[in-house]
Amino acid sequence: MPASYEQQITLVGDLHARPAGALAVAAGRFASAVSVTASGSTADAKSVLGVMGLGATSGQHITISAAGPDAREAVAALIAILGEATKVGS
Amino acid sequence: MTAQPVSTGTVGIVLVSHSAELAAGAAHLAAQVSGGTVTIIAAGGTDDGELGTSAAKVERGLRLAESGLGVVVLPDLGSAVLTVRAVLEDEDPATNVVMADAPFVEGAVAATVTAAAGGDIKAVAAAAEEARNARKL
Repeated sequence: MPASYEQQITLVGDLHARPAGALAVAAGRFASAVSVTASGSTADAKSVLGVMGLGATSGQHITISAAGPDAREAVAALIAILGEATKVGS
Repeated sequence: MTAQPVSTGTVGIVLVSHSAELAAGAAHLAAQVSGGTVTIIAAGGTDDGELGTSAAKVERGLRLAESGLGVVVLPDLGSAVLTVRAVLEDEDPATNVVMADAPFVEGAVAATVTAAAGGDIKAVAAAAEEARNARKL
């Protein structure tokens, strides 16, 4: 049975184009469906335009959710990327 | 799109614009957002550097962008579509090229990110075409 996982993180920088791109590239490598939720809006984490469209900013709590065979790995990878990628901004 | 091992090759992207600067700028932006692992070729302007499109530049772009997994081409405005179609008619039928009907900048970024993630040519073209549904506001 496919597993689902989610984890929350507080952004340390704005989710601008480059961090959104890094997130979507990483999400696209997983078989699981992965989503990002910020302030009640949810986007497909594999869609860079969807992730950018969230307009998530520093200090916001965002949730990464995944469902599928590699859900746990996907959530862990994206949380790590968000922690790193948003530090450098833009 | 299914998960697959990270390989050195990805689907290539060719951006066909009436403006050399616009094609180059969109290519730069898409490369920055996607992490720089995808071959993106800017084919903008006419052969003598004016506003317009060039079959020779498109043909060269297709060759440079092909790494064995196919190429997705994004045209900006109407007659860029005609130029790409004319080039594709002369290509070997085995050539693996898809022209995407997509907004230019958003499509370039979405296609390149999907290519960087290891998406196949269908997934990359679909990502570009889905860009028209992404709301900015």
